[in-house]
Parts: sequence; structure tokens; C-alpha cells
Amino acid sequence: MLNGKNPQKQRGTIITIAFLVLCATDLRAQTVSPAAPMVPATRMVIDEAGRSVRVPVPATRIISLAPSLTETIYALNLQDHLVGDTDFCNYPPDAQKKPKVGGGINPNLEEIVALHPDLVLVTNSFNRLDTVRALDSLGIPSYDVDPHTVDEIIISTEKLADVLGAAEAGKSLAGSLQNRLEVLKTKLESVPPTRVLFVVWTEPLMSVGKGTFVADALRKAGANSIVDSSKDWPQMNLEEVVHLQPDFLIFPETHSDAGAHDFDALALKPGWRLLDAVHNRKYAVVSDAVIRPAPRIVSVIEDLAHQLHPAAFQENLAGERDKVLQNHPNKTHTQMATAKDAAKTEAQCVR
Amino acid sequence: MRPLTLQRVVLRCAILAAILFFVVVVALKMGAVQVSLYGLARDLLSVLFGHTQAISSDYGMIVMDIRLPRILLGLVVGASLAVAGTSFQALLRNPLADPYVLGISSGAAVGSILALIIESSLSFSPEVAGLITPLGAFLGAAITIAAVYFLGRREGQIDSGTLLLGGIITASFLSAVIMFLLSSLAGGNLRGATYWLMGDLSTPQPKSLLYLLGVGFVIAFGAIYTTASDLNLLLAGEKEAMHLGVDVRRVRVVVYLAASVLTGLAVSVSGAIGYVGLLVPHVMRLIFGSDHRMLLPAAALGGAIGIVVADTLARTITSPTDLPVGAVTALVGAPVFIYLLRRRLA
Repeated sequence: MLNGKNPQKQRGTIITIAFLVLCATDLRAQTVSPAAPMVPATRMVIDEAGRSVRVPVPATRIISLAPSLTETIYALNLQDHLVGDTDFCNYPPDAQKKPKVGGGINPNLEEIVALHPDLVLVTNSFNRLDTVRALDSLGIPSYDVDPHTVDEIIISTEKLADVLGAAEAGKSLAGSLQNRLEVLKTKLESVPPTRVLFVVWTEPLMSVGKGTFVADALRKAGANSIVDSSKDWPQMNLEEVVHLQPDFLIFPETHSDAGAHDFDALALKPGWRLLDAVHNRKYAVVSDAVIRPAPRIVSVIEDLAHQLHPAAFQENLAGERDKVLQNHPNKTHTQMATAKDAAKTEAQCVR
Repeated sequence: MRPLTLQRVVLRCAILAAILFFVVVVALKMGAVQVSLYGLARDLLSVLFGHTQAISSDYGMIVMDIRLPRILLGLVVGASLAVAGTSFQALLRNPLADPYVLGISSGAAVGSILALIIESSLSFSPEVAGLITPLGAFLGAAITIAAVYFLGRREGQIDSGTLLLGGIITASFLSAVIMFLLSSLAGGNLRGATYWLMGDLSTPQPKSLLYLLGVGFVIAFGAIYTTASDLNLLLAGEKEAMHLGVDVRRVRVVVYLAASVLTGLAVSVSGAIGYVGLLVPHVMRLIFGSDHRMLLPAAALGGAIGIVVADTLARTITSPTDLPVGAVTALVGAPVFIYLLRRRLA
């Protein structure tokens, strides 16, 4: 106890210890390189939160605070300008080697400052307003993206490319993504959408709301989510799901219990076994990219469409036969029906 | 035991302040980004002499704009919680009383969240918007303590057992309200609220709020300190204190209001940080005895030291990812509390 001893001596000891500790820690200190003293050209842009942001032209030291933004930067081939990203940025694998600034909700501001970014990219769905305010007060410009549909993801990618000084790359990327979606759209035109449940988690059962880009991606893949919630990540009532009986269950790859043995376990769970989709093993497993608003979403949509509607992609063959056999409509019809049946069986075998 | 003189109070506080200063310097040095002691001293001096332009390096930005505000915030929050805890423990003559246990922190959290919701539906200028949350938190704290106080009254007298139970029930009820608010509302401002609820100092606050916090602390602490001698007499019991000439009603009102202000301010900027209000007064009482003229300033300094240490750990253990400081205080606080409890019983 302090009052039992000589305070003078006590203070001396404390100061000595303090000095020793500080000296010891000092030895490990690395010098941080001073900021480069240059004044880059800047211009004003409006970000997707409606804020005016002064961005450098071109941005050469970018920090991404969301996996989707990191992916977009790689898709635009701007990765050499990416100086930092989050712990969750795992695609492409090269992104894992970038210096990490922590998570999206709680990035480490010190690490961000130490990386001398000239632009920090943020997104509403992954970051906090507080982080943006903090960056503002530190004088670090931040650009926000906030897409809610697949089309908005493409538009937002193109805009971001322009902001980052890669307008050409953005245009061609957006163009090719739009083309792929167009092709898909024509193929799925006559196919009735499958009623699906997108399973983010099984316990608790979490799905996606109708206003999310994930629900929009499902629609583009010829699927309609049975979930009618205005929340982004609604927790679902299993009773309601059993009542609605989705035709298909869709799982993101690593985000949920999507392994084969997990499906066996699922079929035994109370409630779940009442689902026809579980009973008939109508599962579709898609890449985790489905929950990232980045260009890769188009590949996921294509993949999902193939899993849900294989017939639509075989119809091309049938369609060509159609031309040949124009004079024998009956025969064509039979063939198409056979193709569809085959596809159906195949779809049931998916996983 | 020697009588407590002003000189001794000042001397002991000076020792605590010296420890606090040392802790702050270490905290300024530690962090995700290594900072040299030389650079730290140089920049601190240039700030002291007003040469803010002289800071050219990273240190300046990281230390002055990120670490120092966070540490100062921690200081005030820790001091507020510890002083609030000390006052509640004296007033209720119950060693388990603290803002967290009595549900006042939860009440302040509900107030904060409601204020956030109101703030996002109306459009205020940023300066005004920043002050709505602490106001909501204060109101939440004040209403909760009134409710808990009402629950704890029996035949016109406060029954501390009933009061504590009332506090615990209120806390769990309010936690349910928080869960409801968070799961039924999906506003952009509420993102990360769960993180904040754990008790978190990582979010930089606007300067106006820091000033408000400092001024609020000084006023509330001053108000409570005027009742320090009365609180000493209250330890003997409410009736006994009344016979000794203590205006119990006045003391109660002053302490409740001031402690609500302290809790509300602390929660509005840092969420509900547990154990500081419970543990620090205990430790300080063990060291300095239970004279509130000594205990109150000691608790303030001790709370500040405790939070700065805990937050430095929170910043560095899992670097570069931050832990919420509430996780650290609970992790360290609970075992220490059990140890103190057992030692006292033995």
C-alpha cells in the first residue's frame, strides 16, 4: 500500500521504471518514413453518399476498406496503387498480401495514416459512418460507393474507375459485364423463375431482403427469393419458410454449412426436414462472391443460372434442331421435353 | 490512523497523477504504428509551445490526432464511471452498486440509440447532431435512475437490496429494449452499434463533445465533492446521518443527478464499459480508506489510469485490429473483483 512507504522513494522508483520501460520499447521502434512533400493535382467528385470529395488525379495510394472494393480494384487492374486493405479481403489471393488495416467496422486509423493513403474507399454496407467522419477530420479523402442492385454495381464500378483515373478500363469492364447479363437475359427469357431461399446462415436462419443486390442477382439468375423483407439481412422464421416451401435452397460456399455432410445433417433437423427442397436435395451452392457487390457477381449469376435452369442453356441445341425440324413441330416438342426432363434430373443431382 | 489533512490528500493525488502521467506517456507510445520516444517528446513539446505547424511527420498525425484524443476521452470516461460508482456505493451503502449494475448504463445506451434514430430522421447541422446523443444518454440515465430509485423504495426508505434487484431487473429489461431497437431498425447510423455497446473508445469524437465531456465532468465531480463529508456520515446509515445533521434528501438529489450526468456522458461517447465503476472504488478504498474526501479524487484518477491501461491493451493485443475496451475491462475486471471479494472475506 502506498501510504505505508516513503512517497519520495516510491516516486523515484516509478520514474526509474518508467525510464527503463520507455528506453526498452524505444529500441524496437521503427522509423516511419515522412510524408512525401508534393502537391498532387486534385478534382472534385460526388460520391454515392452525395458528398463532394476532393480526389487526387490520379490516386496512387489507395486503401480499400471492403473486400468488394478490393476486388473491384483488381478487376480494374489498379492493384499496384492499392497500398492497404482489410483482414477480410481474400480475393484475389494476391489481395491477402497487401498491408492490413484491420476490419471494416473497426479499421485501425493509425495503420491507415501510416500508409499515407491519398484516397480511402468505403462502402455503406461494410463500413461505419464514424470511420468516414474520423477520416474527414484527419484530412484523408474517402470515396463512398453504395450499390443496391446488380446494375448499380456495374454503374458504380464504372464511376469508381473514372474516379481512380482508369475510365477506359472501367468502360470496357462495364460493357463486357452488361453484355454477359444481356446474353443471360435472352436465354432465361421464357423460363419461369424458380422460387428460392437464399441461406446466409442456417442458425439463426438468415436470408437476404428484397432490396439487396443479392436478391437482384437472384432475379437475374432466374430465381425469386421467397423472402419479402425490407431489411438487408432478415432473420427468418422457419415456420414461415416451411409454409412458403421454396423450390431451391441457395448457399454461399464457405459462409454457411454448405458441405455435403452438412446437407445430410440439415435433412435431419427438425423443421428443415419438412422442406420439400431439403427432402429432394434441391441445393445450389454458389461462390461467396454472391454477397460481395463487385464485378465477380456476374460470374456468380451465370453459375447460379446454369445450376437452376440447365435446360435453358441446352435449349440452344434444341433451338437449332428447331430450325432443322421446322416442318415437324411435334417431334421438336418431344425432343425439347426430353431435354427439359434430363435437365430437371440433373438439377436435382446438383450436390 | 492519522487524520486526513488537505496536504495528505494533495500529496496522494499527486502520486496518482504522476502514475497517470506515466501511463499516458506509455499509452501514447504504444500502438499499431511504432513511434519513437524522441519524436513523441519533440511533437508533444511543439504542441505545448503552440508550434503545431512544426509537426511534419506521421507521429504528429497519429499521436496528436488519433492517440491523444482517444486517451483523453478514456481519461474522462474512466474518471466519470469510477466517481459515479463511488457515489452510488456510498449513497446506497452497497459495495455492488455501480452504473452498470444499477442499469443506468443500459438506460443511457437506450437514450443514445433513440437519439441516434431521431438524429437520422431529422436533419441537424453536424455540431448540433453531435450533442443530441449525449443529451439522450443523460436523459436515459436520469430516467432510469429515477425508475430504479422508485423500485427500490419501501415504506419511504431506500432498501438497498431491493434497489439492487430493481437495478438488475431494469438492466435486463433495457437490454431487451436495445436488442429490439437494433433488430427492428436498420438505419445507417446504427451500424456498429453492437460494437459500441460493448464499450468502445476507438471512434473519434468531435472536439465540441470532448469539451462538453470535460466541463460536464468538472461540474458533476465538483457537485459530488461538496457532499463528500455527508457521504462519510451516510456510511453509518441514512437515519443516523439525518440525526447528525445531514440533509439526506439534498445529498441524494445532488449525487443522483451528478452521477447520472457522469454516466450519461461516459456512455454516450464510449458505450457501456463495465467493471470500472465497480472495481476502481474498491481498489482505492483498500489503498486509501473510505474517507470520501480522499476516495472521490482517488477514484477519479484511478478510473482514468484503469481505462487508459485497458484501452492500451485493447489497442495492442490484437493489433492492428482493435478490441472493444469493454471486453478488456470485463476480462481483467471480473477475476480481480472475485480476488478482492475473497480476500475481504478471508
